[in-house]
Amino acid sequence: MSEVVIEARKLTKIYKRDEFEVHALDNCDIEIHRGEFVALMGPSGSGKSTLMHLIAAMDRATSGRIAVLGEDLSQLDDAELARWRNRHIGFIFQQFNLIPVLTAIENVELPLKLTSLSGKERMQQAETALKLVGLGDRLTHFPRQLSGGQEQRVAIARAIATDPDLLIADEPTGNLDAQSAKDVMLMLQKLNKDFGKTIIMVTHDRHAAEYATMIRHLEKGEMKPEIEYPQA
Amino acid sequence: MAKFITLVWKNATRNRRRSLLTIASIAASFCLLGVLMAIYVTLFLTTDESPAGSRRLVTRNRISLTQVMPISYEGKIRQIPGIESVMAYQWFGGVYKEPKNFFARFACEPDQLFKLYPDYRIAEDEKKAFLKDRAGTVLGRDLANKFNIKVGDKITLKGDIFPVDLEFNVSGLFDVDKNEEVMWFNIDYLWKSLPSDRRDFAGAYLTIVQSPDDGPAVAQQIDSLFRNAQVQTKTESESAFAASFVSFLGNVKLYLFAISAAITFTILLVCGNTIAMSVRERVREVGILKTLGFTNGEVMSMILGEATVISLLGGLLGCVVAWTLCKGIATSAGGFANLEGMTLAPWMCVAVIASAMIMGTVAAIIPALGASRTSIIDAMRYSG
Repeated sequence: MSEVVIEARKLTKIYKRDEFEVHALDNCDIEIHRGEFVALMGPSGSGKSTLMHLIAAMDRATSGRIAVLGEDLSQLDDAELARWRNRHIGFIFQQFNLIPVLTAIENVELPLKLTSLSGKERMQQAETALKLVGLGDRLTHFPRQLSGGQEQRVAIARAIATDPDLLIADEPTGNLDAQSAKDVMLMLQKLNKDFGKTIIMVTHDRHAAEYATMIRHLEKGEMKPEIEYPQA
Repeated sequence: MAKFITLVWKNATRNRRRSLLTIASIAASFCLLGVLMAIYVTLFLTTDESPAGSRRLVTRNRISLTQVMPISYEGKIRQIPGIESVMAYQWFGGVYKEPKNFFARFACEPDQLFKLYPDYRIAEDEKKAFLKDRAGTVLGRDLANKFNIKVGDKITLKGDIFPVDLEFNVSGLFDVDKNEEVMWFNIDYLWKSLPSDRRDFAGAYLTIVQSPDDGPAVAQQIDSLFRNAQVQTKTESESAFAASFVSFLGNVKLYLFAISAAITFTILLVCGNTIAMSVRERVREVGILKTLGFTNGEVMSMILGEATVISLLGGLLGCVVAWTLCKGIATSAGGFANLEGMTLAPWMCVAVIASAMIMGTVAAIIPALGASRTSIIDAMRYSG
C-alpha cells in the first residue's frame, strides 16, 4: 500500500448563517493514498466542496483532524497555510478563474512568483507547463481570446506549474462542451498515470468520474463506505 | 514586491477610463495644492535676498496703507543716524489703456530712486533725461517689452485713485535681476496735477540704511520720532511690508490652509472610492490569489501598490500643470506682492508628489484591508 497523503478523522464543518447552523460535514473519515485519482460525488449540499476546501487548506474544520502530506493543517497559521498551498496544491476550478488582465503565460507564472525562481526560470517553467497542455502557441493570449476548453487547459497548466503533490479539481468539466470536457479529463488522467499526481476531483458528472481510479460518495455531510473502482 | 509590479500595473490600468478620471481628479487637486504652496512660500517665506533689498525699510501711516503722511516727514527721517537715503513715494494706480493691463505705478523722487535701488541698471543718458524731465518716467525692461513701449514714447495713465490723467514721456528703461514690472515717475508731476490742498504728501517713505543690522534700530527710531505726532508711522523691512500688503486680501494663510485641507480630504474620498470600487469588482480574484498561495499581506500590498501607482501618476501630472500655472502667474502678476518671483521649486514638486502618493495609499488602506481579510471561501462565492 502506498503512502497516505490525506487522512481525515471525524472531520466536521459547521457554517453559521445568522442564527442558523449548517452542518456541511459531519464526522467525515477519509484516507487517500499517493497516486490515487479520487472522484468525490454526491448531491448538492452533500459536503463535497467543503471537504475539498478542508483538504486544500482553504478553510478550517470546526472539529476533527485532517493531515495532508503528513502536515496537521490545524497547526499552521494563515500565512503558513498560504505558502503550504502554493508548494503542495494545484487548483482547477469549474469557472477557470484566470486573471483576465494577464496573458496565458502570466497566469501560469502567477503561483511561481511566490517561489525563489528567477524571472527567466519562472517564464521557462510556465512555458513548459503550457506546452504540456498543448497551448505552446497561445502563450501571449489573454483569457478572453481563448475558448472555454483552452482556458481550462491554461488553468491546468497553472495548477501543475509548481509541480504540486496534490491536484484539486472542482467540477473541472462543468463549463465545458463534451469534447473539451473529454480533453480535460484525459489530461487529468495523464497527469495521474504518467506523472503520478494525486488528484481529488469534485464532480456531478458521472462521465467525468469514470476517468478517476476511485469514486467516493458523500451524502448529508457523511462519507459513504462504498468505494467504486471505475477502471477496474 | 518587485515580482508583483506587472500585476499591480495591469490592475491599476485595467479600467482605463476610471483610472484616467481618477488620475485627472488627483492631478487637478494636487495641481491646486502645488500652486497654493507656491503662493504661500512666495507671500510669506520669500524675502528679497539682494543686498540692497535687505537694507530697505518702508515707513507708512500707522493707521493704514491707504492713509498718507506729510512730506515734511522726509527731512526728519533723513536726520536719523544710519540712514543713507530716503525717498517719498506714492502708489498711483490708474489704468494704462485697459484695466487688465495691471502693473505697479509709483510716483517717486527721481533724484533718490537710484540711490534706493542701486541694483537698477540704466543707461546714463536715460537716467539724466528722467531727472531732467518732470513728465518723464522709467520702466522695467520686461514691462516695456510686454506692452511694446520704447524710449521716447508717450504713454498716458488714466487716474482712478487720483482724479487726473497723466501723460508721460518714456525717459528710459532699466534692467534688474528679477522680473520687475514697475513704472516710476516724478511725484512732483503728480502733485502739480492735483488741487493745491491735495499736494505735498507721501503714501510711504522708502529708506535705505547703511547696514542691514541697522534696520531694526532705525525702524524703531523713525516710529519713535512720530509717536506723538498727529500722523503716526509704522516702519518695517521691505519684505515685511510686502507681506502686510498681502494681508489686505484677508487671512490668506487661513484660506490657503482651508483650501489645502479640503483638497486633501477630497482626494482621500476620491481615491478611497476608486480603490473600493476596483476591489469590489475583483473580490473573486482576491480569492484566486489566496488560493494560489498569496498571503493576506501580499494581497494588501498589491492593492495599496495600485493606489500608489494611480496617485503617483496623478501627482506627477498635477505637478507639471502646477509648474506651468506658476510660470503663468509669475508672468502676469505685474509685480503684485512679489508674485512675479513665484515658482514651483523642486522641493515643492517632491512635496506635491509625495503628498499625492501618501494620500492615495492611505485612502486605499481600508478597502485593501477588507480585501486581504476576506476568506477564500467568501471571496470565491462572490459573484460581483
